[in-house]
Amino acid sequence: MNHALHLVARVGDRGLLFDAERVDSVVEVHSTVPAPGAAPAVVGLAAMRSRVATVIDVRELFGGAPMMRDGKGARAVATLVDGHLYAIAVDALEDVATFTLAPAPIAQGTAGEWDFVTGVAEGEGETLMAVDIDRLVARASALG
Amino acid sequence: MDDLLQEFIAETRETLEAISGEIVGWEADPGDRSRLDAIFRFVHTIKGSCGFLDLPRLARLSHAAEDALAAVRAGERAPDQSLVTVILAIIDRIGEIVEAIDAGEALSEAGEAMLIAALDGAIAGEAVPAVDTVDAPAAAPAVRHAPKRSVRLSVDLLDRMMSGVSDMVLARNQLARHLRMIDDPRLESMLERLSISVDELRDTVTRTRMQRVESLFSALPRLARDSAAALDKSVTLTIEGGDVELDREMIELLRDPLVHLVRNAVDHGIEDRVGRLRAGKAAAGQLRIVARQAGNLIIIEIADDGRGIDSERLLAKALRAQPERAAELAALDEDGRLKLIFEAGLSSRDEVTALSGRGVGMDVVKANVEQAGGRISLTSRPGQGLTIALEVPLTLAILNAVLVEAAGTRFAIPRQSVDEIVAVDGGAVRVDRVAAGAVVLLRGQRLPMVSLPTLLGQSEGNAIPGFLAIVSLREGRFALALDGVNDTQELVVKPAAPAVMRAGIYAGQMLPDDGAPILLLDCAAIAARAALAFERPDAAVTEAEVVEPVRALLFDDIDGVRRMIVSDAVDRIEGVTAGSVRALAGGLWLTIGARSIPVWAGTGAVAGEVRKVLRLQLDDQELAYPIADPIEIVPLPQEIAPAADPRGVIAGLAVIDGEPIELVDPLALFDDATAIAARPVCLLHGAESGWMEAFLKPAIEQAGYRVVRRAPPGLPVALALAMEDDADTPPVPALRLSRERGKPLYRFDRAALIAALKDYAA
Repeated sequence: MNHALHLVARVGDRGLLFDAERVDSVVEVHSTVPAPGAAPAVVGLAAMRSRVATVIDVRELFGGAPMMRDGKGARAVATLVDGHLYAIAVDALEDVATFTLAPAPIAQGTAGEWDFVTGVAEGEGETLMAVDIDRLVARASALG
Repeated sequence: MDDLLQEFIAETRETLEAISGEIVGWEADPGDRSRLDAIFRFVHTIKGSCGFLDLPRLARLSHAAEDALAAVRAGERAPDQSLVTVILAIIDRIGEIVEAIDAGEALSEAGEAMLIAALDGAIAGEAVPAVDTVDAPAAAPAVRHAPKRSVRLSVDLLDRMMSGVSDMVLARNQLARHLRMIDDPRLESMLERLSISVDELRDTVTRTRMQRVESLFSALPRLARDSAAALDKSVTLTIEGGDVELDREMIELLRDPLVHLVRNAVDHGIEDRVGRLRAGKAAAGQLRIVARQAGNLIIIEIADDGRGIDSERLLAKALRAQPERAAELAALDEDGRLKLIFEAGLSSRDEVTALSGRGVGMDVVKANVEQAGGRISLTSRPGQGLTIALEVPLTLAILNAVLVEAAGTRFAIPRQSVDEIVAVDGGAVRVDRVAAGAVVLLRGQRLPMVSLPTLLGQSEGNAIPGFLAIVSLREGRFALALDGVNDTQELVVKPAAPAVMRAGIYAGQMLPDDGAPILLLDCAAIAARAALAFERPDAAVTEAEVVEPVRALLFDDIDGVRRMIVSDAVDRIEGVTAGSVRALAGGLWLTIGARSIPVWAGTGAVAGEVRKVLRLQLDDQELAYPIADPIEIVPLPQEIAPAADPRGVIAGLAVIDGEPIELVDPLALFDDATAIAARPVCLLHGAESGWMEAFLKPAIEQAGYRVVRRAPPGLPVALALAMEDDADTPPVPALRLSRERGKPLYRFDRAALIAALKDYAA
């Protein structure tokens, strides 16, 4: 099966795996500028050196409550999707390691909604979900 | 021109490289349509650039190859091995010539004529002359002017360079802030030096990626002029919006499409001088090119006032070329029909001209624009012109922006859409709440107001806004209420993520030197969101101004008397070709195109002698007033002595330059004209009236009738037209048409039909 380097991050109470190839960098977002009217998952815009990143909160996708929008700092996984720079806010970053992914054993009925989950791997006493960054961002943008 | 040439060389070289695979593939399978199209586009593009850059040799070769390939595409010629061989030889030759131009060397023309002849099938394919390339100059040319050197870089590399420099600027600003606290003059002067060179570097780097749209337009005036001159037409070109700076990549991608479109407009769109005058247009065609930004898009519009696209003919042509698509084609609406013009090998013109060939450019244009991630759309007004809009995504642009505050956040507004900024407490404006919204009264003009904080979701306070930006759009002006205004800055605009664009009020994002991102507002979208109803500002303004004097046209009438008529009544002055004014049905009629309009005969006009007419229009009535010569337009004096005969067509006398001049009353003309020559009504009867209207209406009108398909009660119908085999009887006497050729009134016998109608009228 798929055997690759992944970044382990925590969003709410879920452990997520991001394909390390797709992760541009791991950043500390200090402050965000709000973008009123944008999709609810958009926390705001942040400058990452000379580039502008769209900070998004994906907690809701995993059934959690949205993050506090106090404009304060958070950790984020920066990634490029379709030429746009996104910072996916996470609660914690845990590790970078090689994982062997197994297909996600999810019911057919929910497959459409969870299409951003591409597989699962065994973590320390929990099942980690590998996510497809493109689909995750697309889903989060379409929320609301 | 050198720049363009260098670009052409670099581009051709690159395309040649890219296309070599297609060529090999085509050689293996000459029936492959997509490869054929790719090769065709290549030679077509070369041909286009050559004419423009004045490279006649390349133009000859590519034109010949294009002709042959077009024949293959049209299915008129089989792509046999010999043809493929010659085409390949020509493409090789094009490559050699391009290299020779680049090196500034001469290259013998030997064999090129043979290549072209071989294409026409004059020489058997096997005997394709091996063009001897070795006979290129053995002796090095004495003087070689050093060409301007250029390299091609990947956009990616430039982007990294640009963001690197931007990083440096941000770091410098941070450093400067900290150094100021230390207050060391030596450090500060060192920083100053660093600062200047960083700024210079940024300018240079920006220029590697950005270019003014102007550079895209600079070659067009010449192109339009030369194209028009070659066809003996006149064209006036207007260009707007050239000062926006755009991504070089986009500019390069748009260059060819724009050249094609301008050429097409001159060649196919704009009519020749005579045609234009006949259609009542100015002799010189108008071509307008406008660049503007809307939301995430850069829009370039090419609008001509020519004949537009004949969608019927386009459809017929598509049907002829691909009869198997008949069902699909028949189902197309007007829009779908127009889109046929983008299909490979189709064009609305049948003749081939040296200029744009068969109009084939359109599929190339579409391919190019779509390659840039853009779209192309067209609006055709038959007889009035064609507007083509190219929309390409805004990848990068530099904009002068006003930075403003609302709802606690900074936003940017494009400087060019802001007329002025007004502080509300200054007393120059008054804000009034009206219904759910508000209006602003500024210098006597009432403008709708949109509150940006409210639009951004801040709860509605009753507070009066701090500032108003007066935003001017094409639809009208409105006031955008803001909390604060900072300053203006030149900033790079980049597209924002789709999740942000979803708000529908942003045009992109910017990052100023202080490192806090700013969203650029899209004023047109804001107006649309607020559902503003614009008052016509112009109407309000003119009311307040002095009353414009009424103007009158002074002319020599055909009876030799100088008269005048209110110029608003005159639609246009038109030359009349011999034979188009005829005495019919007891009056004079002028035939224009497929219509005939009554001619005023009160001044003793004789059918064969009318040379010029004033075309008068009143609601939907038309009348031609024959004159000898128009003189000039003069302001109509206030004092007019009423005429003795209140029922005559002379309204009165006015004094112009000391001479009493008769003023013609247009209303009286129309009254008289309708009385003399009220046209009898011809009813198209039965199930086939639709067909009759399409085919016979012009002929019937020419015979002096007015055509209707349904007669409302009370409308006197003089005559009906029905098919011979129509079962139900028309309500009035009818002429019956036959379906068979040779019968007395065969339905397609135009002359017989007109004669029959006239007989009936007499």
